[in-house]
Amino acid sequence: MNHISVKNLTVNYENYCALKDVNFEVAKGEFVAIVGKSGSGKTTFLQALAGFIPFSGEVIMPKNIGIVFQNYAAFPWLTVSENIAFGLDEKNNNEQTKIIAEHLKLAELTDKKDKYPAELSGGQTQRVALARSLAHDPEVLLMDEPYGALDAYTRDKMQQWLLDVWTIHKKTIIFVTHNIEEAIFLADRVLVLNNCNFIKEYIVPFPRNRNAAIKFSPEFNKLRQEIFSALNHTKLE
Amino acid sequence: MITSGTLVTDLRDSLWRLIMGLALGGITGVIIGLLTGRKKKIKNILSPIIQILRPLPPVAIIPLVIVWFGIDDGAKIFSIAFAIFFPVWLNTHIGVSRIAREFLWSAKLLTASSLKIFCKVIFPSALPFIIAGVRMSIAIAFVMVFVSELSGASSGLGYRISITSLAYRIDGMIAGLIVLGALGALTDQLFIFATNKLFPWLKFSTK
Repeated sequence: MNHISVKNLTVNYENYCALKDVNFEVAKGEFVAIVGKSGSGKTTFLQALAGFIPFSGEVIMPKNIGIVFQNYAAFPWLTVSENIAFGLDEKNNNEQTKIIAEHLKLAELTDKKDKYPAELSGGQTQRVALARSLAHDPEVLLMDEPYGALDAYTRDKMQQWLLDVWTIHKKTIIFVTHNIEEAIFLADRVLVLNNCNFIKEYIVPFPRNRNAAIKFSPEFNKLRQEIFSALNHTKLE
Repeated sequence: MITSGTLVTDLRDSLWRLIMGLALGGITGVIIGLLTGRKKKIKNILSPIIQILRPLPPVAIIPLVIVWFGIDDGAKIFSIAFAIFFPVWLNTHIGVSRIAREFLWSAKLLTASSLKIFCKVIFPSALPFIIAGVRMSIAIAFVMVFVSELSGASSGLGYRISITSLAYRIDGMIAGLIVLGALGALTDQLFIFATNKLFPWLKFSTK
């Protein structure tokens, strides 16, 4: 059964069409990555899914969604604990305390619970943002190039951490990235977005409980080259 | 000045006018700035009026203010408040209207409470701008305290410097200026100290 269903999604900006007649379906618990060049409409697609921008077409999404951005990930004026607690208004104090403790542990930031985001590394800040979204228990998680600003080493660590978290929570995730390797490593399915629409879809054949070693396998490299070719045989408008 | 007790009296009176003027102009500036920064209708109504008043030199309104409020503290406090309202308003307005949309989007997905979003996201996001406006206003307030006490005052540091000048008491003038300068620097440092204590995350945003 589809968890997300998008039909004929079109987003127009003043001078150009960002997305045109996009159709998209995601099953519950699926991890889908969207890759594309800069300006291909990846972020616009996520914003439309979240209902942040006007669009035409039909989008069927669960109401309870979470989002993680590359920038402005965590609120700088709140501590790590306060960030995680932000969406927990409806819980009583005991429940809040329990959820915060669980998600601090999940984010491996228990010892930094009273720190401000500016006192954390980029990877830690992204973990705060993800923990804050997960604490709210969303049905769908939208991630907009969350690791785009991280160095290669931290990015690798964060990818593995995200897979571990996903294995526990099994949320439906739409992950936007311009990094093909990241998309293959994380997702069940990789969609290539270009010229206002998805031009290709790839099923990732690697079994779950993946680790970084698969990035060096010939199959991984072959898939990466195929996606790279798909991206580069199209021109941006 | 110290032995005669005039320094303490002048200091007390000037500080009172300064604090009241800062509070009145600052609070009004922040409230109006929050409103014009977030509510387009209010911005469309108030902004033209504020933009007409903003270029007026605050010193130029003192004669009119004396006519309205008399020579009591009211006129001086109003002049100070008038002068500092504009930088506080402008900074607050810019800070509130330029909040990163990602912050608002994240907040809206996490809570349905507009009040919470305003208090916990919009206001703190604008705080660095508001604080910059208030800090700039402290310096302006000192100028206005001095100027407003030059006429229609019988106490205050501005008044003291003015009458010692008329009596060619250079030592009195210098003493008054030193006290005014030291007070200005002290107030600024106290303000920084207080903001860092109240909003500890700010010290990271100004690194």
